[in-house]
Amino acid sequence: MSQIIIQGLLLSGLYALIAVGFTLIFSIGRVLNLAYGAYLMIGGYVYYHFTQVLGLPQIAGILMAAIFGCVIGILKYRLIVKTLKGDHVAVEISTLILAVVIQAGIVLVFNDSSKILHPIVPGVWRIGGATVTFNILTAALASWAILIGLYLFVRNTHIGRAMQAVSMDVKGAAISGVDPDRINLITWGISGALGAVAGVFFASYTQLSPSMWVAPLIIAVAVVIVGGIGSIIGSLIVAHIIGFMEIISTTLIAAELRGVFTMLLIIGVLVMRPRGLFGREEL
Amino acid sequence: MGIRWQHIALWIAFIVVMLALPEFVSKGTLRTIIFANFLAIFAISWDVLSGRTGYISFGHPFLIGIGAYTSAILSYRFGFPVAASIPLAVVATMIGGTLFFLPALRIRGSYFALVTLAFMELMYQLVQVIRPDLTGGTRGMSGIETITRGAVNNYYLSFSLMVIIALAMWLVMKTRLGTALSAIGMNEESVRGSGLDTTKLKLAAFMIAAFIAGLGGAFYVHYLGSIAPRALFDINFLFTIIVAALIGGASTIIGPMIGAFFLTFLLEYLRPVLPGAERYFIYGGIALILYMYQPKGIYEVAKQGWGRLRAVRAGAGP
Repeated sequence: MSQIIIQGLLLSGLYALIAVGFTLIFSIGRVLNLAYGAYLMIGGYVYYHFTQVLGLPQIAGILMAAIFGCVIGILKYRLIVKTLKGDHVAVEISTLILAVVIQAGIVLVFNDSSKILHPIVPGVWRIGGATVTFNILTAALASWAILIGLYLFVRNTHIGRAMQAVSMDVKGAAISGVDPDRINLITWGISGALGAVAGVFFASYTQLSPSMWVAPLIIAVAVVIVGGIGSIIGSLIVAHIIGFMEIISTTLIAAELRGVFTMLLIIGVLVMRPRGLFGREEL
Repeated sequence: MGIRWQHIALWIAFIVVMLALPEFVSKGTLRTIIFANFLAIFAISWDVLSGRTGYISFGHPFLIGIGAYTSAILSYRFGFPVAASIPLAVVATMIGGTLFFLPALRIRGSYFALVTLAFMELMYQLVQVIRPDLTGGTRGMSGIETITRGAVNNYYLSFSLMVIIALAMWLVMKTRLGTALSAIGMNEESVRGSGLDTTKLKLAAFMIAAFIAGLGGAFYVHYLGSIAPRALFDINFLFTIIVAALIGGASTIIGPMIGAFFLTFLLEYLRPVLPGAERYFIYGGIALILYMYQPKGIYEVAKQGWGRLRAVRAGAGP
């Protein structure tokens, strides 16, 4: 039992971190970035390259992953989203194509065998009957720190409030002197950096492979849909629902069924309550 | 309904050229064309649903998979003849299409795309877990009965299937049903406002798409002789179908066919130049640039080019 609670909490923290970058973009531009999973993959591989191939310290690896993710997010906004002038279907399709291109690029650079990341913090901790690797504990703590930081940033800084304004009403924000284009650019950059950092933790929890982008994309989609557009708190709650569902189905039913309930949840919620469980028009 | 003799002449010319093709090209090229034919069938199916009505389906492999798996299980595990397993597979896919349809009653746009994506992932995971004695689990099945042997026979079979479906869809889209479906793609409210039952129309589109997908999937599995979940319920497979339809030209019949042949041959002709992993990178890159340049596809590019050419000629004349 304690195993389920602890594992569930830790996994949910990771899932919340995975989803939050996707939520940001979805709430600010109503754009589905289907290449979001590719940020995670890029983050994981960049970290792998800098720490395990070049031997840099881990913090530098995470930093490089964040920078790469940020740059790619900005490029994606400039080259694809802006060019297509916010045509939603076109953006969805072209980000899907882009994700496949990035996957091919990863195969090209790193070949297609999967790679194991060394745990970011090695060691195990036993409490009660439960075993917790320090790695997932670090991941969960880091995601909590990042999420709280992001929440404060969105609430309290000028740019954060401008992001909220753009997500509510682009024209209104523009009238009040906010440049929506600049805010979009910043949001895409932040989203990319968040995705890439989440990718480092996700990859250390599972493994690196060129097709690893699909699973986190589905998790992010599930969290955003079930949580409702533009609700950071909603996403947080739903990340926990999904994390616990996975842990419970893994330990009590069968490991192979872990994703099935997530899919059923997405389908069920979208059909019953399309605006999500906590859908509110806020960031 | 606007069928002109030029259209019929073009269709006949196309069919004659394609039927004569095995005399002129190698077996290897024929095998490539077989894949292009199947891809064209899937792309036409996608286009009937998504290209026309604007309900973007990310779950087409779900429909194709139902058709392929039903037929494979019936013939491989229960010894059904292919002549019985394929029609049953089509019926099963149409039932699956109804399931697919239910979310579309309430949601639209990006959300519909996401639900269908979830359907595909759900199917992928369930196929491996539920009754692996039937589905073959992760490894799938091989040694499934094939309909004919040899590249030439299979070429004729796949081409006939593709051309019959394409012609049938061309005729269906010339009817008022086709017009209404395209109108839904433009503005669903106005269609409803003009007194048409959009729910029935959409159901018809889903049923037609499921019918084609099931038929194509069943024939495909009896061509390959094997089936595996990762090859079928895969984002790369989905990507190929959608991109074929879009890059050729959505909401036309010829577009998905052009797109399917273009993508299959692009991948094939890149093989000698770029033998390694960079092939898929270039292939995806070309698809991305082409799509960004003209989201309406190659058909539109060709049409505009033709129009410009005529304008230049007219300008050069007296």
